[in-house]
Order: sequence, then structure tokens, then C-alpha cells
Amino acid sequence: MRYGGDNRGRLLIIVLVVTTLFLITLDLRGVQVISGLRTGTQTALTPVQKAGSWVISPLRNFISDVTHLGRTRNKITKLQEENDKLRLTLQDRKVADAQLTQLKSVLNLAGTAGFKIVGAKVISQGSSTSFTQTLTIDAGTSSGIHQNMTVISGYGLVGVVKYAYSHSALVQLASDSAFRIGARIAGSQQIGILSGQGTRKGVLQLLDNTTTVHKGDALLARGSENGRPFVPGVPIGQVTSVSNSPGAVTQTADVKFYTNFSTLGVVAVVVSGAAADPRDALVPPKPHPTPLPTVTIYATPGAVSPSPTATK
Amino acid sequence: MSIRSFLLSSPIFIGVFLFQEAFVTQLRLPAGGINVLLVVALIWSALSTPEIGALTGFGAGIGMDLSQTSPGPLGHWTLVLIVACYGVAFLGYGDDNIRGNPINIVLLTTIGVVLSQVAFLILGLMLGQQIGSIGNIIFLLAGSAFWTAIFSPLLLKLISYIHSNTFGSRAQL
Repeated sequence: MRYGGDNRGRLLIIVLVVTTLFLITLDLRGVQVISGLRTGTQTALTPVQKAGSWVISPLRNFISDVTHLGRTRNKITKLQEENDKLRLTLQDRKVADAQLTQLKSVLNLAGTAGFKIVGAKVISQGSSTSFTQTLTIDAGTSSGIHQNMTVISGYGLVGVVKYAYSHSALVQLASDSAFRIGARIAGSQQIGILSGQGTRKGVLQLLDNTTTVHKGDALLARGSENGRPFVPGVPIGQVTSVSNSPGAVTQTADVKFYTNFSTLGVVAVVVSGAAADPRDALVPPKPHPTPLPTVTIYATPGAVSPSPTATK
Repeated sequence: MSIRSFLLSSPIFIGVFLFQEAFVTQLRLPAGGINVLLVVALIWSALSTPEIGALTGFGAGIGMDLSQTSPGPLGHWTLVLIVACYGVAFLGYGDDNIRGNPINIVLLTTIGVVLSQVAFLILGLMLGQQIGSIGNIIFLLAGSAFWTAIFSPLLLKLISYIHSNTFGSRAQL
């Protein structure tokens, strides 16, 4: 028999819905008890997540291997390290040594800009089922990390600290759809607003309709007052395509973030910005092509063997 | 009776919540992965009366709202899950064609997961949140449906066993 409901059941539903609406109202009004509940939960969860991260890593690696169909973990790690090395060389010519870790690259970037940073390990990646892009790091207020601080990797901007707990912090990634940052184009100094799209690609909207943006332009953070939430000069990404819609008021462009958010292991939180704006100092230099030697072979009929001659 | 059952099932949901937060989110499954707490709550509701379903939705929703990854205010997921779990329980209650057939429960759960997420997005929009590109949302919803359809049959037997023991029911899938 189909359920028809009774008064007690209806009353229960009404009570539950009203309670929920009450909770939403309290939270939106910023009542301390509600935020305290979340802080308490996160504080209690941090050690469990750390343990989970340690336990799950073999399984995670296995799933990653399966996902990448045949590519072994060793090969991927080797390629990632090699890729890191190349990117670091591009970002700072002074650092030419190989075998640099992700943490070292963060220190390098922060050192170039003169940022004071706190290094942290990524202990959890946020669930995409809530349609957000977040990660949790293992350093919090006890390490000097507070809300609205810039988070960087060796490649550039990662995101901003959304919530800081005593021993952990939640970072909103730049790829999050709610993420907005004031950006300027290196060189031309044109400004715009970059918004996340839920993927590694962001969308830049210029503020001035008389200015233009070009494919390959590098984007840097404009910076906020007192360096929070964003310190100036942090590399964000590179323009991959420009939309020239005739009806649009200002130009828009697709931007690929320098940071690959799915492979982050170590990040750094900028606790204090540089004394002076680093301007374009952190823009990754463009690679210079290396001329390849051309081998020309002269073959003479009747000769014993051809002699190769190398010319540049 | 409802409150007693709710209290009895609370440790189970706390355990599922910890499992979700500590392990499942670390797996970084492709296409957004699975929300085990959401799936368990919907299966649990499908096996329960509408009142228990609503209470289950309330408890599970609070857990999901307390999750660090929840972007909305406390009560966002709770409101969605009260309605979703009540709806799933209402559809299944008294209808043995649905409740007695595991395939129907899996189908109901999968549809429930997708509709819950859509309702979550709509409520989020009403609360002023950003939801990102439509393409990404469709991709995540499809991924969520896929993983739910894969994992629900695996979880169903276990949940059915725990449910029947918690509520002292002889019926079990």
C-alpha cells in the first residue's frame, strides 16, 4: 500500500526543514557557534585525514596507474621530475641544478619575489561532488597561517586560504568556479579579472575596452591591499586563446594556469609579501630555440664510402 | 521509534562520514568520484519509512555540511538531503516492486544522487554561489552517476544487512 503520511510524519518533516532553514540563516549571519562546529570537525578530522593519506597512497597510485592505462608510476614520477626541472630552469635562470623537489621550487619562487612563506604538505584533495576545487594542507594557525593568504607552488598561484584551523587549512584553488583574482598582463600592464572555471582553464576579462590581449601573454596577480588575499607579482597563467566577439564590451581570453592542481604535493603559503612589488620579475622567460646541427652527406659515384660533413 | 532508530544509526553514518573524508576523497577518482555518505543515506532511506528517511537525510546532510569541502552554509546539503531521502523513502515505502528489487534500489539511488546534486546546485545559486561552467557540471554529474551505479550494488548488501539488524527487521535484500 502506498504511504499516505500522517500528522506526526508531516510534523517531523516540518520541524526538520525549519531547523535546517534556521541553521542556514544562522550560518549566513556569521554566528560563531556554527563556524566553531566546522572548525572543531576539521580539527578532529585532520589526524584521520593524515592517516588516511598515508594508508591510501598505494591504492591511489594503483588507481592512477589504471587511469593512465599502462604508464607505470615510475615512469610518470620520472617524467614529472623532469618536467619540474625544465619549468624551474625557465622560471629562474640562476637555478640550473637538476633534482629539485617541489618544495625547493616553491622556495625559489618565493625567494625571487622576496616573500616570507610557510611550506605545507597537501593532505587531502577536496571532493568535486560538491562542485568546489579545494585542498587541505597540514599547516594552520599554529604555523602563522590565516584566512585570505596567498598560496603558491613552484609554478605560480595555487589559490587562497579559505579557512585556517589550528593544524590545517583549507585552500580554495584558483580553478574553483567561485575564485576571482585581479590580474595584469606582464609587459603591457593591462588589467582584468580572472575567474576559475572548474578546470585548469580560467577566463580573463579585461576591464578596459581600448586594450587588447594576445595569445601567449603571461598573467600576474595584481595584488591586494596589504597583500591579502593576493600578493602582487605571482605568476598565474598564460593566455591560450583570445575571444574577439564583436558584440562584447571588453575582450575576454582563455588562460591556462601554470600550476597543475591535480599533482600538487607541496605548496607554500605567503605569510608576508615583498617589501616592493616584484613587477614582472617572476614571469617565466620564453624558451630560446637551440639550433640543431644539419648533417649533409655527399655521395660521389665510384667513391668507396660517403663522408658526412656537419654544418651549422 | 524514529528518534531511537536515528540514534542507533548515527554511529554508522559517523563512520561513513569519516571514511568519506579520510579515504574516499584521497582516492582522486576520475570524473569527480563518489560521495559515499550521499549514496549510503539514499540506500538507507530507500529501505526505510519516510520519517526515518527524512531523519537520515537530516543526519547525513549535517555531516556533509560539516565537511571541509562543502562550499555552502551549514544546512545547505541538509535541506537537500531531507527532501531527497524523504522522496526516495516515500517512493519505495509499501511498494515491493521497488523495495524488493535491488536493481530498482540502485536505479533509485543513482537518480537520487544526480537529482540531489542538481538541487544542491540550484539552492547554491539561490544562495549566491558560483557553480562554474555547464560543461564541467554535466561532466561531474555524469561521473557521479557512473560511480554511484558502480558502487551502489556493492554497498547494497552490506547496508541492507546493517539496516535490518539496526531496525530488527527480518526483511533483507
